[in-house]
Amino acid sequence: MDNGQGFVQRNYFLLRRLHSLTGVVPIGAFMLIHLTTNSSILWGAINGRAHAATPIGRGVETFQDEVSFINGMPLLLLIEALVLWLPIAFHGILGVVFALGASNNVARYGYQGNKRYMLQRLTGYLGFAFILYHVATLRWGWEWLTPANTAWSHYFATSTLAAALKGDGGQWTVPGIIVSLGYFIGVSALVFHFANGLLTASITWGIAVSQRARQRWGYLCTGIGAVVMLLGWSALAGFVFLVDHDEAHQIERRMVELKYGPEFLKEIEREHLHRPGMEAAAIRRAAEVPYPGPAPVIRE
Amino acid sequence: MSNTARGGVRARNVIFRIKRCEGPGKPSRWEAFKVPVEPNANVISCLNWIAANPVTIDGRQTTPVVWDSNCLEEVCGACTMVINGRVRQSCSCLIDEYAPNEGDTITLEPMSKFPVVRDLWVDRQRLFWGLRKVKAWVPIDGTYSLGEGPRETPDHQHDRYVMSTCMSCGCCLDACPQYHKEEDEGKWDRSFVGAAVVNQARLFNEHGTGRVLKPERLDALMGPGGLDACGKAENCVKVCPKNIPLVESIAAVNRAITIHGFKRIFSGK
Repeated sequence: MDNGQGFVQRNYFLLRRLHSLTGVVPIGAFMLIHLTTNSSILWGAINGRAHAATPIGRGVETFQDEVSFINGMPLLLLIEALVLWLPIAFHGILGVVFALGASNNVARYGYQGNKRYMLQRLTGYLGFAFILYHVATLRWGWEWLTPANTAWSHYFATSTLAAALKGDGGQWTVPGIIVSLGYFIGVSALVFHFANGLLTASITWGIAVSQRARQRWGYLCTGIGAVVMLLGWSALAGFVFLVDHDEAHQIERRMVELKYGPEFLKEIEREHLHRPGMEAAAIRRAAEVPYPGPAPVIRE
Repeated sequence: MSNTARGGVRARNVIFRIKRCEGPGKPSRWEAFKVPVEPNANVISCLNWIAANPVTIDGRQTTPVVWDSNCLEEVCGACTMVINGRVRQSCSCLIDEYAPNEGDTITLEPMSKFPVVRDLWVDRQRLFWGLRKVKAWVPIDGTYSLGEGPRETPDHQHDRYVMSTCMSCGCCLDACPQYHKEEDEGKWDRSFVGAAVVNQARLFNEHGTGRVLKPERLDALMGPGGLDACGKAENCVKVCPKNIPLVESIAAVNRAITIHGFKRIFSGK
């Protein structure tokens, strides 16, 4: 088996199977959780524990609550590095290496399976690039790559996200249109990659063997893919089209104030105001908007 | 038989565009031939006509087109070539279906994943090398009699029979986007073996006596160029002229490899 070749050659089996495994767990599993959390911007409207007057306001509250919970987790950086960044880097880099050894003969053999094979590699490239952009801009603070040089803050999750997608103050800009479209393509690509990856993983591991078993598994994967796609699209539609930036910001301010006190709110707002290119105008404008209604408190 | 085939097709002229090559490593070129075709003709009979009349459509004298064929009934796999862009056996390729009208064109190319010997004749050694790599046989040679063969249920026999109809034609390899032409024999061990070989490994893994070599076959398929190089495009099963459930074979051997791999981890071998 080992021909005295390099590391990849000697550990070929292990690497390929780890590549397959990491795609499902943790990466795929995380994507499910991530998109469920993000789509709370819509399903938060029916969250009975949210207080805001408008449905989207309740979405903002629910999403903010989820984000605060995640950011309050102990050893977050370690969890992120071990459960997300490392597996994604492994899956992505190895995936690119393997995909470079592929060829495309869809023009000659236009079977559905062959098209999925080609799309799996295409969505892999697209998705990997998208994840890098997504994490770099919203997590690593590469705000110069966002439409209007705005950073994301987990204290103001919805409003700063709308700004990072569209432009300062959640107002549409031309780069914002491109970024939002990029998100649509990136999210769709990754969901397809996940669902089709689940389908092919059943061959990789020999879980579904017979034609019938693979067909049934295929239906299930299509169903899972459709549901996850809907989660992703609804989250994106919520942040891009439905959120009122200023209303969201007011709700977030109130939540920070209630949770950490007015002093802390002033402090982080000052911090934001003093960082150049950080939504300064938007925060100032939002501060002048009247108070949005009853105090949004969740988990009392 | 009348002079008219089932579809009401009549005698006519068909243009054959053929990708030609003088020998290994030589550049290839295209030549066209105008062939008078009788109903029920196949590609081989037309190639026979061209061999007897090696004159191109421009009236230029050329060498006879070389091809490989043997059984003429889609059982040996020797005459496999790429016809109108898709790989298949030329003996079972009826002109009436491909070129029913006067002046229709049929394109013939050699298989794309094997080195060309000459014209439409390719060298499929790598496929047979793959069968040796996975020990696709039943070991019965020895110093003493092994006695009677193992019993087999009709169900099991039925499943294995389909796998055994593989004629190593190489269609599955030609259509596979993960299987690449590799003329350097030294690199075969690291290049994907392809569906045909995996299917044969499964056939002999499931044979009562052949299964003694199962661990060795799985080891061979676990390494580079083994089954993990499969990209799940599933073209193999679509183009297989024998309708062998190749993806099922791939999944079945993968299952065996999964179990084999875990066993190896925990037994420390």
